[in-house]
Amino acid sequence: MILAARDIRKRFEDRIVLRGASLELHPGEIVLLGGRNGSGKTTFARILATSLGPDAGTVTLDGRPVRQALRESRRSIGFSTHRPLLYLGLTPLENLEFFGKLAGVADAGSRATQLLSSFGLEEFAGTGMEHFSRGMLQRVSLSRALLPEPRVLVLDEPYAGLDEQGTQTLNALLLEAKGRGAATLLVSHDRERVPPGITRVCALRDGAIEAAG
Amino acid sequence: MIALLVLAKDLKLHARDARFLATLALFALSLVLILSVAFGPLFQDPTREASATLWAALFFAGVLGLTRALDLETESGGGEALRLAGADPFLVYAGKAAANFLLLAALFVLLLPCAAVFFDVGSLSVAPGVAGVAALALIGYAAWGTLFAALARGLKARELLLSILLFPTLIPLWIGAVKLTRSLWAEGSIDPVRDWVKIMIVVDSMGIALAAWLYESIQEAEE
Repeated sequence: MILAARDIRKRFEDRIVLRGASLELHPGEIVLLGGRNGSGKTTFARILATSLGPDAGTVTLDGRPVRQALRESRRSIGFSTHRPLLYLGLTPLENLEFFGKLAGVADAGSRATQLLSSFGLEEFAGTGMEHFSRGMLQRVSLSRALLPEPRVLVLDEPYAGLDEQGTQTLNALLLEAKGRGAATLLVSHDRERVPPGITRVCALRDGAIEAAG
Repeated sequence: MIALLVLAKDLKLHARDARFLATLALFALSLVLILSVAFGPLFQDPTREASATLWAALFFAGVLGLTRALDLETESGGGEALRLAGADPFLVYAGKAAANFLLLAALFVLLLPCAAVFFDVGSLSVAPGVAGVAALALIGYAAWGTLFAALARGLKARELLLSILLFPTLIPLWIGAVKLTRSLWAEGSIDPVRDWVKIMIVVDSMGIALAAWLYESIQEAEE
């Protein structure tokens, strides 16, 4: 197992969102996490990605609590969510190069170009993103998460805004990540669009994770 | 390397925000112009009035600059991605503080000749001294401003909190900057008020030390 969440609890003011959610991600797995709107999927994904701290429970990476080695853990986890997590004043290539270099990727420029090309954005690589559509921003955001080839991918609604070609590209990249032993958590309603190599399907209900077959 | 990457990124974002830069420059110049008209045309103590005007304009325009830098981090989640990149938080802070310092320094370069011309003060011989005073004041401004901007980032009233925290903290820096600049323009030396240099160095060092100690905790506490 690479990443494990145990008995995660989280509340926002009076609203209890997670009541002991637990999940393990093993190397080469792609796990699909579903659940109704407001069930706490995004909160759980953010906690796994260390974007948010839990009120109780632990997230471990290789058996070590992520909060004890926050920087090292973050370098091992790629995360995308509803917000683009990009600088709109930079071009897609500049964004990817910046985050790639921060993550210590040696050939960040060529890897960024390759990913943008895979997502069909090569002609927009050097243009500003202020007027990008939701789907274009999603492609750049996913490229940012995938660029350092992290050992764990936590992708929250990755198919939102993607067209058929974008979906196919993402699925090919997810299978490539699976092939090199990365563990992926896909938080998505779109069961039809997920890649064929899904190893487990789970759902968040009443703040806890249940196997959904 | 990380600090340089963050510095380059922040400068690029500012440089492309032409509308904001124009607004900032216009706001700062207007302050100098309005105050010079208010004090003039027959200045009672031009060196005092000019130094007060210069630093007041820089202070208020600087808050505008810091607020904009804060917005650039929050508007599309770039700041969160930076936090999640796993880079050394103090190096990220250093890069951001350096970018804020350069933005403030550019404002100073714009305002200094205007204040000197409008109030008819200063000479080239004391320019290096005035630049040294500016460096002391602006290092502290950037150090504290970047720290407080991180503290305010997750909050709804972040611009208000930034101003509330900055104003009292920077008072010693601003008094020192006004006194030292005035002394340079009036006397040609800082000897009568030399102790303010030590006070400003202490305030600058405290800002940097506090950031080294707290920046990571502040970043994580925002959630």
